[in-house]
Amino acid sequence: MEQNQKNTTSPSVKVHSVLTIVSGTPVRKGSVCPLSPLDHAMAHHSLHLIFYYSCGSFDLDRIRPPLNDVLSLYPIVTGRLARDGDGNWHVKCTDAGVRTYLANADVSIDEWLRFAGADDERLLSPWEDLPDDPHIWSPFRIQITEFEGGGTAVGLSCPHMLADPTSATLLIKSWTEALHHEPIAHPPLLHPLALKPPPATTTSITSPVYYAAKSTRSEPKKSPKMASATFCFLDSAIKKSLSEIQSTFPDATPFDLLVALFWTRIARVKRSTWDQTPSMSFCMDIRRRLQDPLPDGFFGNALHFSQLKVGAHELECGDLCNVAELVHCHVAGLDLQDEFWSAVDWLGSRKDGHGKFASPFRMYGPELTCVNMEHMIPDESESEPFMYMTQFVKGQKPVHVSCHVGNSEGEGLILVLPSPEGGLARRVAVMLPEEEMDRLVEDKVILSLEPTFLLSGRM
Amino acid sequence: HSQPLFLPQKKKKNKRKKMDSVRLKYVKLGYAYLVNNFLRLLLVPIMWASTVEVLRMGPEEILAVLGSSAGHLDRIQILFFLLLVVFIFTVYLMSKPRPIYLVDYALYKPSPVWRVPFSTFMEHSRLNRPYSPKSVEFQMRILERSGLGEETCLPPAIHYIPVEPTVEAAHEEAETVIFTTIDDLLSKTGVKPRDIDILIVNCSLFSPTPSLSAMVINKYKMRSNIKSFSLSGMGCSCSPISVDLARDLLQIQPNSYALVVSTEILTPNYYQGKERAMLLPNCLFRMGCAAILLTNKSKEKNRAKYQLMHVVRTHKGSDEKAYRCVYQEEDPEGKVGISLSKDLMSIAGEALKSNITTIGPLVLPASEQLLFLLSLISRKIFHPNGKPYIPDFKQAFEHFCIHAGGRGVIDQLQKNLELSPAHVEASRMTLHRFGNTSSSSLWYELGYIETKGRMKKGDRVWQIAFGSGFKCNSAVW
Repeated sequence: MEQNQKNTTSPSVKVHSVLTIVSGTPVRKGSVCPLSPLDHAMAHHSLHLIFYYSCGSFDLDRIRPPLNDVLSLYPIVTGRLARDGDGNWHVKCTDAGVRTYLANADVSIDEWLRFAGADDERLLSPWEDLPDDPHIWSPFRIQITEFEGGGTAVGLSCPHMLADPTSATLLIKSWTEALHHEPIAHPPLLHPLALKPPPATTTSITSPVYYAAKSTRSEPKKSPKMASATFCFLDSAIKKSLSEIQSTFPDATPFDLLVALFWTRIARVKRSTWDQTPSMSFCMDIRRRLQDPLPDGFFGNALHFSQLKVGAHELECGDLCNVAELVHCHVAGLDLQDEFWSAVDWLGSRKDGHGKFASPFRMYGPELTCVNMEHMIPDESESEPFMYMTQFVKGQKPVHVSCHVGNSEGEGLILVLPSPEGGLARRVAVMLPEEEMDRLVEDKVILSLEPTFLLSGRM
Repeated sequence: HSQPLFLPQKKKKNKRKKMDSVRLKYVKLGYAYLVNNFLRLLLVPIMWASTVEVLRMGPEEILAVLGSSAGHLDRIQILFFLLLVVFIFTVYLMSKPRPIYLVDYALYKPSPVWRVPFSTFMEHSRLNRPYSPKSVEFQMRILERSGLGEETCLPPAIHYIPVEPTVEAAHEEAETVIFTTIDDLLSKTGVKPRDIDILIVNCSLFSPTPSLSAMVINKYKMRSNIKSFSLSGMGCSCSPISVDLARDLLQIQPNSYALVVSTEILTPNYYQGKERAMLLPNCLFRMGCAAILLTNKSKEKNRAKYQLMHVVRTHKGSDEKAYRCVYQEEDPEGKVGISLSKDLMSIAGEALKSNITTIGPLVLPASEQLLFLLSLISRKIFHPNGKPYIPDFKQAFEHFCIHAGGRGVIDQLQKNLELSPAHVEASRMTLHRFGNTSSSSLWYELGYIETKGRMKKGDRVWQIAFGSGFKCNSAVW
């Protein structure tokens, strides 16, 4: 429908070409990549990353050969999903390649970054449901969208069964490293048996109970219409707020602060619909947190979901310091080694008589979920976060990186992402039901940290 | 339980057969040696007898014999005799064809970016023809039996869904493929583009205006008096045709270089329909190009790799079935494709027989020719339905380059010419690594033989190509 005002017309993205990019060296015939129980558990969701670049040439002849080289290291990416003898999913390394879409958007990238919403971002990466017969369906899909007047978005979509945000980001990072003839910093480790649980030691483990509760939860009859916005907090703002909290609680991190902030403000916004003890589900990457750490290049799902329950009054009184402390104690105090392995063990035991895994359930949501992406900042403070090291043109880092999870509608999803500014700056991508989001963006406490807005839809 | 009794007898029979075949082999070798060196063998006793005679007579006796015979002739007659000898010698030298040397050749190695794994080919086939699953299955079956490997390449335009065979894309493919190969050849040989006197480009299915040879001349800024030719529509057997043309031109133009570029541009020819007879080229044809530098300059003799001995061209176009065997036409839906008839193998066999009949006398040693003649006579007189004797071409050639048209073609020729697997290895490996690159496949095979270190000085090579028309052309180096 035509609108008069420019910022209320939905932008259109037109795909003009579809091709398949293959790997440079043939895959060993008949090889197969099995999937871990945790991978199977993520089958309900899909993962979508979008890297925005404000300028630079993304000529296919220039960027295609390095991807062709890099794909030789990722046979799981060029393969196709199939059911194995037990009826479970695995990837047949058929060497069929990655489907790539070339598109044009009719707005400029600046306009897009200001006014596009979650629905619009769906147009930048190929969202496709897993078909019944996926033998010719490309699980990994890339879309390269050119904006008016320069600017490009590189979108990657895949089933969450095959990769988590870290794996997907490092795939793109390897591509850009090959483009500049640099060595691949995080070559992929394709060995799901690396996720073999050692025997559990402690008895007070909560994860299996939590996951079991998730599995038995019934699907809500109607998913609310979700809206999303990204809040960009500057290093200075975070530092100031953090110093205020650190007077009482010295160990507070930007993650604790931001989670506390958003949880309390969202609780306030949801007040009318709040009817149970508030809880937050935390999703975190466990690669570095295990006793035998997995390399960052481990390809697959290495996530853990945990639940923190607090008293309703804690949120209502709005004391950031207190909530931050609770969050910190939960995240830091989590015995990740035992919790994670017992969760994986529990997931692995959910098999029927024939060895087929039970059907997957929602991992992200439907309760309020917070995803910590801070692990993408390598330990050395001079380095950029992984997602901002993906430079297709030398010296041109992305202006923003979006991450979306398919089928995560519910009470809300908060992603705490690194920022290209570095330091303590962070970007928080929030997805909430529409009316709640309208109220959240006007919340005074959040606005006191002077965030700038990105991808907040037409408001 | 009577079985054990039979087995030892069978073993004995096999052993006897083996001994017989070994004996036969030696008989054959002896016979071949005798017939091929007949004249030499005859000359030896004559030389020996005359040497003995000369040694027996002293020098004075020899002079006396010579003097008596010379006395019968006077000076004018001797002079005339000498002039006659010189005249005959000159005529012989003048009418001898100029030797044609192959200085070097370059092959196009496509970038792995354009690799087409079987699974990708099948997916694209399915996605491009969503309503014809049967034709997709047919293509997969063809591909699996084709002898192609997973590293063959198709040009960029064919990697899109749907395929976008624009003229611009075809031009781009032609430029990339041809220019890369010519650059390689010029740097290998050190010859400058301005030194090229004759340019022949053969590409069957893409014939733009201006021609591909004009495209090459434009890019390399060749001389304005260059003799350029662009051969199109002549099918997969065009490489020996181009070489033949170059040879004829080099006979009349002394001291020249001829550049022959043999390729097939695939972009405009991806068949988008579902007729089975027309789907084969999609499955088999792949990107490739060869650039060959020929010359008649005597200074290149030392560094030239090969010398052209014979080119034999056989055309079966007068036969209606042979003419329609490989035919480009529109299918019932109006989509253009190249239709291959079911009689392809038998027609190829017939064409090969014609070619062999012509080339046999030129290359076979006397022993084989005699055997062939004897068997021909015996068939005509005694056994009209007897099997014709197939001359043993392994005695004439060390290496065979059979056009890698498909596994069927190579199998058939291996059987017909009674070649060992080692002889056809170059063809099979070229088919596996590069696919059917049409006219340039002979050169990829030659390259394979050289890379494996099997080519030695003095080795003879036979390049056989088949193509639409129906033609069977051979080149002997």
